[in-house]
Amino acid sequence: MKEVKLFLGPQHPGMHGNYSVHMYVDGDIIKKANPMPGMLHRGFEKLMERRYWMGNIALIPRICVVEPDINEMVYAMGVEKLAKIEVPERAHWIRMIILELARLAIHLMSFGGIGGPTGLYTASYWSVADRDLILDIFEKITGARVYHMYIVAGGVRKDLPKGIEEEIIKFLDYIETRFPEYEELILKNPIIHARLKDNILLPKEVVHELGVTGIGMRSAFNKANDIRKVKPYARYDQVEFDVPFGPYSDAYTRVSYKLIEMKQSVRIIRQSLEKMPKEGPVRVSYSTGNAIRWTVPSGMVYPVIESSRGEYGYLMVSDGSDKPYRIAVRGASYPQGLLGVEKYLPGHRIDDASIWMATMDVCAPEIDR
Amino acid sequence: MLKMNSMNSIYENLNSKFNILSVDYPDDMQMAIDLEEKDIHTVLAYLKSDGYTQLSILTCVDWLKEGVLQLVYVIFNWDSGIHILVRTKLDRDKPLFRTVMEIYPGAEFYERDVHEFFGVEFEGNERSYKHLFLELWDAEPPMRKDFDTQAYSDKKYAPREYKSKFISEKGGEK
Repeated sequence: MKEVKLFLGPQHPGMHGNYSVHMYVDGDIIKKANPMPGMLHRGFEKLMERRYWMGNIALIPRICVVEPDINEMVYAMGVEKLAKIEVPERAHWIRMIILELARLAIHLMSFGGIGGPTGLYTASYWSVADRDLILDIFEKITGARVYHMYIVAGGVRKDLPKGIEEEIIKFLDYIETRFPEYEELILKNPIIHARLKDNILLPKEVVHELGVTGIGMRSAFNKANDIRKVKPYARYDQVEFDVPFGPYSDAYTRVSYKLIEMKQSVRIIRQSLEKMPKEGPVRVSYSTGNAIRWTVPSGMVYPVIESSRGEYGYLMVSDGSDKPYRIAVRGASYPQGLLGVEKYLPGHRIDDASIWMATMDVCAPEIDR
Repeated sequence: MLKMNSMNSIYENLNSKFNILSVDYPDDMQMAIDLEEKDIHTVLAYLKSDGYTQLSILTCVDWLKEGVLQLVYVIFNWDSGIHILVRTKLDRDKPLFRTVMEIYPGAEFYERDVHEFFGVEFEGNERSYKHLFLELWDAEPPMRKDFDTQAYSDKKYAPREYKSKFISEKGGEK
C-alpha cells in the first residue's frame, strides 16, 4: 500500500467553515483521517467568563455562524432557569417563529449546499437566494440579518413590527411553491442519486457510539428523537408537526430529511402566527437598578434545544455574580466532526469526503468554539 | 407533577444502589448528582444500561477558591427526555481520572478537550495529551481561572509601537 497525505481544508470549497482533515489516501480511497480543528477556535468559553450576562448576548451568536439564533435561545433559557424567570406567553411564540425561520434558513443553505461537492451549483445559488428572503424578514424584526441579538433572557427585545405577519405568510406561500422545484432539481437528480444513494452510511451502532443527534440519529434510529418532541421548550408542545425518521441512514436520506423538515418548519410557523396571543408583553423586567449589571443566582443548569444538526446545549454555571462562572458549549456536530471523521471517514473515496462532511452536518464554528 | 414524581423515583432508585453525595433538580426534566471519584464509572455504566445511552457533553468547571476541578458528565435518555448531570470533584493540583471511553466511546474527544483546556489527565485515553484546538500551545491550560491572559499575551507577543501617518494638506505623507 502506498500512502499519500492530502489536506482537505482548512481553506477548501468543499469544507464547511475553516476546518481541516488530514487524509492519507491510497489511490482514491481514504485510509486514514485526522480531524484538525482549531482554526476557528476563538475562545468563546473564556470570553464569556469575562463579560457581563447582558454583554454575552452580543457575543454568543457568533459561536455558530450559520445558525446564530440557537445560541441566543439556549443562553436565554439557561439564565431563565437559574434566575427562575417566567417568559410572557407572546414571547414564547415569537421565539418559536424566530427559531423556525432560522431552521429554514440553515436547512435551505445545507440542502442546496449539497450542490457544492456534487457540482450541482444551481442548487446552491437557489438556496442562497431564497435564504436571503428569510434574512429580509429577520432584518425587519430585529434590525440585523444574521446575528440578531433578539432573544434575550426574559423574552425578546421588542415586539414584532406591524405587518410582519403578512410578510412572513407571503414568504411561506412563496417557499412552498419552491419546494417541488427543489425536489425536482436535487432529490430527483441522477447525479445526486449516483453520488448519495446507498453511500456514506450511518449505522445505528455508530450513532450510539459517537453520540450523533439530529437528522443523523433520526434517520438511523427509526425514532423521532428531536428535542422539540422529547423535551419541548417554547411552545412546541402546542403545535402539530411531524419529525421524519427511518431505519436506514445514507447520504441521500439525510439530505431528503432536510426538505421534509423545512416543510414542517413552514407548518409550525403558520400555526404559531395563528395561535399566538395577538398582544401582550414580550419581555419581563426582572432586575432593578443597572440592567447591564444583572446578577444571576448561583447554580448549574444544562439548557438544551434542537438545532438543525441536533442537540445543542450549554452547561451554564453561575456563582451569583454579574458574570457567568462557566459556560461550556455542546456543539451539535462535535461528535461527528471529531471522532466521527477520524473513525468513519476512512473507507470512503476522496471525492466523497466533502459529501460526508456536508451530510453529517459538520459545522466547524460550533466544534471549535 | 408527573415529571417530578419520576425524577424522585429515579433519585430514590439511584440512592438505594449508590452513594449519592447530593442531588439537585436544575430543571423539571433535569437532575444533578454529586458522586465520589471512585463511583463515577459504576454509576455511568449503570445509567447507560438504564436508558441514558447518550453522553451529551463532558466538561470541567474550575472552582479555584475551593481548590477543585469539577468534572461534569451530562447524559441523556431520549425515551424519557431526562438529562442527568453526573458530577465529581478532582484535586486541582493533580487532576487525574480514569477515562470513560469504555462506557461512552464518544467521550474520547471530550476528554482531550478537557485535558487541553483544564489540564485533567485521563488515564486510559492514550491521546489525551495530544493538542486538539490549541496547536503549539506552550503555557498553562487556558481555561483555568488563574490563567492570566494578559500576562501570556505580553510574554508571547513582542510589544509594538504603532505610528500614525497623516496625509498632509499638499497630498502625500509627511
